Amino acid sequence: MKKYSSAILLFFFSILLQFSCHTPYRTEKLIYSNYRLSQETIKDSSTIALLKPYSEEVSRTMNDVVGTIAVSMDKAQPESALGDWMADAYLAMAKEKFKRNVDGAMMNFGGIRLTQIPAGPITRGKVFELMPFDNLLILQEMTGAQVQQLLDLIAARNGWPLAGITMEIKEKKAVNIWVGGKQLDPSATYTIANSDFVANGGDEAAFLKSIPQINIGYLMRDALFDYINTFTKAGKPITAPAANRVRYAQ
Amino acid sequence: MAAGALLTGPQLISAMESGSTYKLTILHTNDTHSRLEPFPMDGSRNQGLGGIAGRAELIKEVRAAEAQVLLLDAGDIFQGTPFFNIYKGEPEIKAMAAMGYDACTIGNHDFDAGMENLATQLTRHANFPMLVSNYDFNRTPMEGKTLPYKVFKKGKLRIGVFGLGIEGKGLIPDNLFGNTVYQDPIVRANEISSMLITQEKCDMVICLSHLGYQYKGIDKVSDEILAKQTTNIDLIIGGHTHTFFEKPLVFQNKNGDDVVVNQVGWAGIILGRLDFEFSKFSGKKLVRNHNIFVSQKTGG
Repeated sequence: MKKYSSAILLFFFSILLQFSCHTPYRTEKLIYSNYRLSQETIKDSSTIALLKPYSEEVSRTMNDVVGTIAVSMDKAQPESALGDWMADAYLAMAKEKFKRNVDGAMMNFGGIRLTQIPAGPITRGKVFELMPFDNLLILQEMTGAQVQQLLDLIAARNGWPLAGITMEIKEKKAVNIWVGGKQLDPSATYTIANSDFVANGGDEAAFLKSIPQINIGYLMRDALFDYINTFTKAGKPITAPAANRVRYAQ
Repeated sequence: MAAGALLTGPQLISAMESGSTYKLTILHTNDTHSRLEPFPMDGSRNQGLGGIAGRAELIKEVRAAEAQVLLLDAGDIFQGTPFFNIYKGEPEIKAMAAMGYDACTIGNHDFDAGMENLATQLTRHANFPMLVSNYDFNRTPMEGKTLPYKVFKKGKLRIGVFGLGIEGKGLIPDNLFGNTVYQDPIVRANEISSMLITQEKCDMVICLSHLGYQYKGIDKVSDEILAKQTTNIDLIIGGHTHTFFEKPLVFQNKNGDDVVVNQVGWAGIILGRLDFEFSKFSGKKLVRNHNIFVSQKTGG
């Protein structure tokens, strides 16, 4: 009798369990279909209204034309016109603003925030989009051996744009390095312009942290504006810079 | 009267509803980077693409057509246009709230105007949670501002969503990352996802990841590694590497079950859409690996 009732209890308990438990489902099929948002996509009017006060202020302050680009410039690795142009701007403006000799400059690849600058007028807003970060242009004095270490990091990361320096990438190391037209001397001292982001250890450049920074509070974005302005004042468009700075060894 | 011959009125509606609960539509973005307006018409490759007004309209249309929709974002909402330099993320978060985002995770650039700013923008303007399960925000301005995961009830389905952030060291400046403690994303993912299955009884586990899709030649945790080294994730919605996937990729997890990974580039050029169909899961099928049949939607 006792055995019998416990069996009944078990039966009711298992029924109860089935009802109280969540019936599991599993994903079986996936149909994918992405939407590409183009000019033809219908726009939601309430979203336009939400954005309006912000976009009016952005247009008012950011739509002025600061210069002219002669040819479309792209972002690519190991080097590209857009990156080389930015590195040239940092080298030229570092020499002028810090009032001293600067041997080389660079632009960390991940810090280039547009994939292309098209030919034509360039607006203030476009420069903000290219360099949205409030990173500072700083100088560091380092030995040739430390420069090698930095360029090895750049080689391992598949190449960043450089100015004043040329190199080749071989098995993730920097080889055949020339600075200011001379081969890199491990014991010589060089002054390198860089982003405070990288100099503070960004992009895994932790070894740069211990090297003192010369800092005048000069934004990298302002260096781009000042460099563009040198062309605009001279009535010249910005042309593509010379290439063949960073390449893979044959 | 023949049984079932006259299914009308409330009966018919309830039958339709029970059918639709086995479907879930996921809409997703990543790395929208303050691209609130479309790229300007200046001759660049991306001219006219993206923009939140178009995205909002599409979301509205999908919600009107589908019963169960989840709208998710995988981080880097902030930084990239002057909107962010001026307004520090206010219009981005406001717009996401208006579009009805269900959840997002954190990207490295969401730290860019400081954690205090991020906390302020979320507190003031978000009506959706930021999900992060591998950052310890104790003693930071972000303490108590995020959730590790959230379970969404979608019809009869229970959908567990959790978030993973990328390692801050060497990427996010120390002064911005502050006292945030980064925890191993694989360890956390396994803990959270198994809890979502066993305790929260979820039918599907989604990870919003800002780890990045893949790093060639660099030893760095990625969505590919996450997919292969975990056991209970069904879908990883990725970001960070700005990768435009032509189609969702399928990897096998530690148990040999399928894990779907998708990412839609950057700047809100693409709104990702994944329509999942579910079947009742019998415990007897446990011996067989869980596979998913993936296909592209045909006929527009």
